[in-house]
Amino acid sequence: MSSRSGLGGFVGTSVKRVEDQRLLTGRGTYLADVRVEGCLDAAFLRSPYPHAEIASIDVAAACALSGVHAVFTGADIERLTNPFLPFSMMTNLYTPLHYALSKDRVRMVGDPVAIVVAESRYIAEDALDLIEVDYEELPPVGTIATALDPTSTPLWKRAGGNVLYDDNAEHGDVDEVFTRADHVFTETFSCPRQSNQPMETRGTLVEVDAGTGELTVHSATQSSHMLRWLLAAYTERRSVLDSAKSFARNKQRRAGLLAGARSFLSESADDLKKQDNSGMFAQVRKEPSTLPHMFRTALGVAGKERFPTVVAKDIGGGFGAKGAVAREDVALAAAAIELGRSVRWVEDRVENLLDGGHAREEEMTLSMAVDDDGTIRGLKVDVVLDQGAYPSTPVAGAMIMQMMRVMWPGSYRMEAFAQRSRIVATNKGKYVAYRGPWANETWTRERMVNVVARRLGMSQAEIRLKNIMGAEDFPTAMVTGPTVDETMSTRKTLERALELADLDSFERAKADAAAEGRYLGVGIANYPEAAPGPPNYWDSLSPGSGVFLRQTARATVARDGSVEVRTPQMPHGQSHETTYAQIAADELGVGIEDVTVVYGDTSRTPFDLLGTGGSRGGPVGGGAVRKAGRSLRGEILDAAADLLEASVDDLEIKNGSVHVSGVPARGVALADVAASVVGDDAAADSLAFDVSESYTSAGDGGWSTATHVCWVDVDLDTGQVTIPRYLVVEDCGPVINPAIVDGQVRGGVAQGVGAVLFERVAYDDDGGMRSTTYLDYEMPTSMEVPDIEIEHLETLSPGENDFRGVGEGGMIGAPAAITNAIEDALSEFDVTVREQYLPPSRILELAGVITPD
Amino acid sequence: MTADGTEGGRGESIDTSAGPRVGIPITCTINRTPIEAVVESRRTLADFIRDELGLTGTHLGCEHGVCGACTIVLDGRAVRSCLMLAAQADRTEIPTIEGLADGDELHPIQQAMHDTHGFQCAFCAPGFLMTAVALLETNPSPTTEEIRREMSGNLCRCTGYRTILDGVERAVGLMADGMKEEGDE
Repeated sequence: MSSRSGLGGFVGTSVKRVEDQRLLTGRGTYLADVRVEGCLDAAFLRSPYPHAEIASIDVAAACALSGVHAVFTGADIERLTNPFLPFSMMTNLYTPLHYALSKDRVRMVGDPVAIVVAESRYIAEDALDLIEVDYEELPPVGTIATALDPTSTPLWKRAGGNVLYDDNAEHGDVDEVFTRADHVFTETFSCPRQSNQPMETRGTLVEVDAGTGELTVHSATQSSHMLRWLLAAYTERRSVLDSAKSFARNKQRRAGLLAGARSFLSESADDLKKQDNSGMFAQVRKEPSTLPHMFRTALGVAGKERFPTVVAKDIGGGFGAKGAVAREDVALAAAAIELGRSVRWVEDRVENLLDGGHAREEEMTLSMAVDDDGTIRGLKVDVVLDQGAYPSTPVAGAMIMQMMRVMWPGSYRMEAFAQRSRIVATNKGKYVAYRGPWANETWTRERMVNVVARRLGMSQAEIRLKNIMGAEDFPTAMVTGPTVDETMSTRKTLERALELADLDSFERAKADAAAEGRYLGVGIANYPEAAPGPPNYWDSLSPGSGVFLRQTARATVARDGSVEVRTPQMPHGQSHETTYAQIAADELGVGIEDVTVVYGDTSRTPFDLLGTGGSRGGPVGGGAVRKAGRSLRGEILDAAADLLEASVDDLEIKNGSVHVSGVPARGVALADVAASVVGDDAAADSLAFDVSESYTSAGDGGWSTATHVCWVDVDLDTGQVTIPRYLVVEDCGPVINPAIVDGQVRGGVAQGVGAVLFERVAYDDDGGMRSTTYLDYEMPTSMEVPDIEIEHLETLSPGENDFRGVGEGGMIGAPAAITNAIEDALSEFDVTVREQYLPPSRILELAGVITPD
Repeated sequence: MTADGTEGGRGESIDTSAGPRVGIPITCTINRTPIEAVVESRRTLADFIRDELGLTGTHLGCEHGVCGACTIVLDGRAVRSCLMLAAQADRTEIPTIEGLADGDELHPIQQAMHDTHGFQCAFCAPGFLMTAVALLETNPSPTTEEIRREMSGNLCRCTGYRTILDGVERAVGLMADGMKEEGDE
């Protein structure tokens, strides 16, 4: 524990983690560690086929097995729950409605068709073998190419094919720019399916209070409030009339339940009104049941008597995957409610690899308009995103497509940008947000810039320096909409990286190595990240999305002087308990150990839509903590001023006591100030001060930036790529805790190393799944992840809250830097790297050592 | 020594006539506490430790022996408790993550990982810590390269490993200092 107790100045120092005492001693409470008396275990029966009709399903033998309590099939779930509904209804988007379990048709290997509830997981899994399902196979849709073929079998009958979204966007005068530019270069790039793969799988335990029937849902979730509301909505299957009656009857109770969300909703009213539902008409025309389902679900929520309480404690990583509300969660809750028993599901790794979250499978054609001198004039993109079978809730492919569209130009000056965006349905696991979900825009842009540089005879540094925005440009805006201020410091990170990289001496080393038959290469990549970005970044994605720039924090002091900070953020590795304690302790003049950060429990934390995600923990959640801490400090000083008979302006808080500045003797302990408010006899935990502050990130910037430089050594005997050096110069503004930021950067880069060299969710062309264990889905170990040099720049922004996000950046930059380096290493073979996944066999193919199959 | 790293040794009173669910009696020592139990033949050692002994610090990451989150030390060797049956743990001595600290006093490997910001989500931490404990018991002064190699059997998705390797290196120093201090006393 830090010994800097109460001295302030915690922000900016590598305070050691508060979480460690618990997590390093095996005393953490991850989902699988939650113990509830009498809890049953669930297991899911999953389809072995990528695409099939279910002719019949017979669960009698499974139900008869000793120790089995119940088996629910798709038919039961359709009776007990509402379907998953569209979250954003953008123009030209079709969102297929689907239930938690599949009843008539399966659409991927791993599609859940039944849930068994039994005394133990062993028995539940025994029972799975006793369920008889008669499948009639359908032609599978295993690739983007097949999905784009109008003759492919539609996964969704009402979609009119397998293209679920097809939209065009133009910014600037695209035709003019592309006609007048000296050159237009075009390349096609593809990124395979990747997977988030947190070391803890998904899991949920629905605890049912036998007496009251109330639900407490323990879950490995990044967003406990979202889970609470969606479970409430999707398990409330009642007739409209019943809901209306209940709505009328339960006014008072409803007022209490909505209280948490009400202030959020009223503060966000303007954003919510702006929401783009222009696609509603097309959605309803294709899927008329959308409206009655939405109506019934909404009224069901409104009339709902009891909402579940969601409790999340320690989470073993997520990287976006646990932001999704799972079909399994809804099936589990429905089963628990129906049985009146607590039921638990802990996903196994095979299930996680099948459908715990896939990402980033996109094919992209880029055309870049450039002049002879290397000036980039414009960019056209044609992108197809493979969403798999079932859209993820709440963030599905369409939202991520908008992020890609807005971010594609990056930090380069550009006059025009156009994008054709398509989303296809295939017989694969669901596509989710994965750390920098839009990152393929950075990968392809930074690849394309290198391709163009080579064709024009420029160096990769030169072309970047020529086109990247700098101080002389600010304030300005990206061609796609968002405003840009000096926080888009990408150029500064590039210039510093070039100083540190010493590329001239590398070129000499490369030449020397080539003489020995070794292939060295260097790759540069840079990017901005909206972390959280300006409000018009969010509106550029989809109007009304600015709601994600707002979070609330509640800060309290109890009679005993203990400080609590409550946040809707849901830490899953990011060390919020430490960083938020740093922020609050600095505001309040107390020690880190005096502050407890409360999260994850919806009965104790402020409402929020998204929990943790989108690099908002520092800027938005942290901004709210600072604002609440500051208000709390004001209230404490007001109360202390009375006690000390001093002016508020003369007071300071240090070491947990309030005293007259410069006169430590004339002071009063925080606990005594608290006691003066609630009375000495009050219980130790009764709250003397209780402040809630909603914080909205504003201003023209809010960008984090970085430049990555990667050096590779490619062995053409084995195809193996090693990374002797890796440099990151990043700028996320003032750093709260450098060691924690470094950890985020390294971890992101490690996932990028995995993406390029090791990891691929492997389907065959017919939708068969080939990577269902860690022997097939290979992730980098300590032998493969390079040492990573990190340098921080700390550009200040004009805004009140200057923290900026950093959680996603490592993963955004790394695939581009690594693939650029590999192409550089293979330059004598005139190779253009068009795929993100480059295992040894592919390296050897590219270099012409072996011939592709 | 069998392939899965155990010393073998099965319970002596297996009643094979009573069908597949017959219990197998075992005795072992877990975190210095003697354990006597009758275990279902198919129960994994990891499930036995977590569900029957309530020691949930040992985590299950993949249940097929790759990720290493479930690593425990069994008779001095790091083994994957998801790949062993509880019945195979008869007459063994097993420390788990819960047995490392002495009250609030962290084991040097835990202290070192705290000092180096070793972990983030820390789901993998128990496996790494137990792997490191087994390593340092057999080789108290490993080289940097040996540490990197020995820890490569465990997966971490958060950190990129640097801080974990730093932690092991620091633990080597702390333990050497600790032994010196003991010697001085």
